Amino acid sequence: MLDRRATFWALLLPPLLWLGIFFVAPLLLMAAISFRADLSGEMLRPWVPTLVQYADLARVGSYWRLLGISALVALMIAMSATALAYPISYYLVFRAGSQANLYLLLLLIPFWTSYLLRVMAWKFMLGSGGVINSFLLYTGLIQQPLTALLYNRSAVVLTLIYVWIPFAALPIVAALQRIELSLFEAADDLGATPARRFWRVTFPLSLPGVLAAFFMVFIPTVGEYVTPLLVGGSRGSLYGNIIQDFFTKAGNWPFGSALSMIMLVFTLLLVALALRVVDLRRLVV
Amino acid sequence: MHRMFRLITAALGVVVTSALCLTACAPAATAVPPTTAVPPTEQTGSLTVLDWAGYDAEDFWTDFKSTYPKVTVNFEIGASDADIYAKMKAGDQADIFHPYTGWLQFYVDEGLVEEIDTSKLSNWDKVPDSFKKIGQINGKQYFLPWDWGFTSILYRTDKVPEGITSWSALMDPRFAGHISMWDDGPGAVTVSTYIHGYDETQVTAEQLAAIQQEWTAQRDLNLFYWAGEPELIDAMASGDVWVAYAWQGAYAALLSQGVPVAYANPSQGRNSWVGVYGIRKGTKNYDLALKFLDDKLAPATGNNVVNLFYYGHSNQDVMNGITDAALKEAFSIDDPAILSKTNFTPNLTAEQRDAWTAMWAEVKAAP
Repeated sequence: MLDRRATFWALLLPPLLWLGIFFVAPLLLMAAISFRADLSGEMLRPWVPTLVQYADLARVGSYWRLLGISALVALMIAMSATALAYPISYYLVFRAGSQANLYLLLLLIPFWTSYLLRVMAWKFMLGSGGVINSFLLYTGLIQQPLTALLYNRSAVVLTLIYVWIPFAALPIVAALQRIELSLFEAADDLGATPARRFWRVTFPLSLPGVLAAFFMVFIPTVGEYVTPLLVGGSRGSLYGNIIQDFFTKAGNWPFGSALSMIMLVFTLLLVALALRVVDLRRLVV
Repeated sequence: MHRMFRLITAALGVVVTSALCLTACAPAATAVPPTTAVPPTEQTGSLTVLDWAGYDAEDFWTDFKSTYPKVTVNFEIGASDADIYAKMKAGDQADIFHPYTGWLQFYVDEGLVEEIDTSKLSNWDKVPDSFKKIGQINGKQYFLPWDWGFTSILYRTDKVPEGITSWSALMDPRFAGHISMWDDGPGAVTVSTYIHGYDETQVTAEQLAAIQQEWTAQRDLNLFYWAGEPELIDAMASGDVWVAYAWQGAYAALLSQGVPVAYANPSQGRNSWVGVYGIRKGTKNYDLALKFLDDKLAPATGNNVVNLFYYGHSNQDVMNGITDAALKEAFSIDDPAILSKTNFTPNLTAEQRDAWTAMWAEVKAAP
């Protein structure tokens, strides 16, 4: 029989290796490349670290502005997706009864199709010959198709909220399921109205799930680039699109890496700040 | 606790070193026995081709497939010229790769491409000299020209009945909300140099600043920047886009769908690009790679390029054999002067590529 220490390492080593090789090492490599002047010569030749990429980046105000906009857009999407996912989760856990598993399955069905297809579907919804325009034209409410529905930042926000709702629901469902039902009885016995019971008992106890949902949406959305590319139009670009351009169009990895590192640090700072403002322990207790 | 920390750092150290090693020492290609004596149908071995999505279809290497049925051809897919260049640069072991004009100099400068021994190509004399020249860098034939096409302005004739005669149509307020530009910095710079008569190979910093302003202003007229041809074809077929920067593949596709479109002959001339194949320096499959490229020039493959992709092929016999009206129109085959009215894409320098892409990124990020 393995002793405790050996078991510990046997269990920990495979995921640690996996994360190390495919997450930590590439991240370190990217950080290292951001301190490189250019990519000429051997890929792994030694180079003198330089801050030239960061100095170049500091000069372009529009990138910083776009980073701010991307964070705001991500904040809006994360808050909306979480807020919309909450009632769904609440219904699933407390109201759906024996149908809960069926509804959960229905919620997850969109995951069976590709992310790209789900984004493309919004082109069919919002396009000038799309579902919404055809309907409005049919009812005679408009004479010309509305062109303002697609190819702008609102379309990006709308699409991403839709894409993220099922993701956001999962941690909230998990948090709600953990709540002891006897706590509700206690609240009722003590004379709480249903609304008061929700705000004083249910909601605070589900907050860890809500926060998990929020950050799960917020963090990846700051760097989002596929959806703006498909439905964002000329003015819908986000910071992720700029990073993508330097990697896949310019082949300028050092500058792309510097842009990515700035985004990483910026996002981590925002999350740290948010966790400080929203004091988890104070809320839960 | 302290000991565990040391263990974890040690583990991470191992991980990082092995990851670096993975990038550095990628597996070597399979060696192929000398090609003499073995008849083609019996020849075995494998080739790896780094190509664009869609070009991996057997239609586009059908001659090689029938001559060398026992050779395995593997494909890796590159998303763009920058992606293919980055992969080769990072030590990709593909035997053959497929860049486009504008990007060729980099491969030679970085020592990533082997010279092509054209004396071993049976179809080489079918390639016109003007195309052969495009694959020559520093006086040596490093690349084999293969597919080519035009870039010009594609427009809906029902929405723009007066026609289009200048590249500046992409900035014409009359078409506001119905214009689509390709999502590409060098492409945008090229258009501006045509409009203003700048020398494309010597764009100055002031000119680049003016170009950035021009495209930043254009953004409010532009519906979306297209990334892939199908996206543009859909938007033009639906009538959302009237005027677009486009390759003639999109033109031929829309013509065959019956959409009323025309492909402009701007007063400044069309742009033209050529796709070439290169053989990786140091490949162990050099002879087999040469045979693959030779068969890439063969007629059955060439006809598929023309008929299925609507792109031009470097084998002149293939082009002379085109009878389809839509295709003749797309290549302007009946206009003998079309090539002299065309601007071929020159090779970029690394500085130009970086500056032009940065310009484009700033256009997209502008307030």
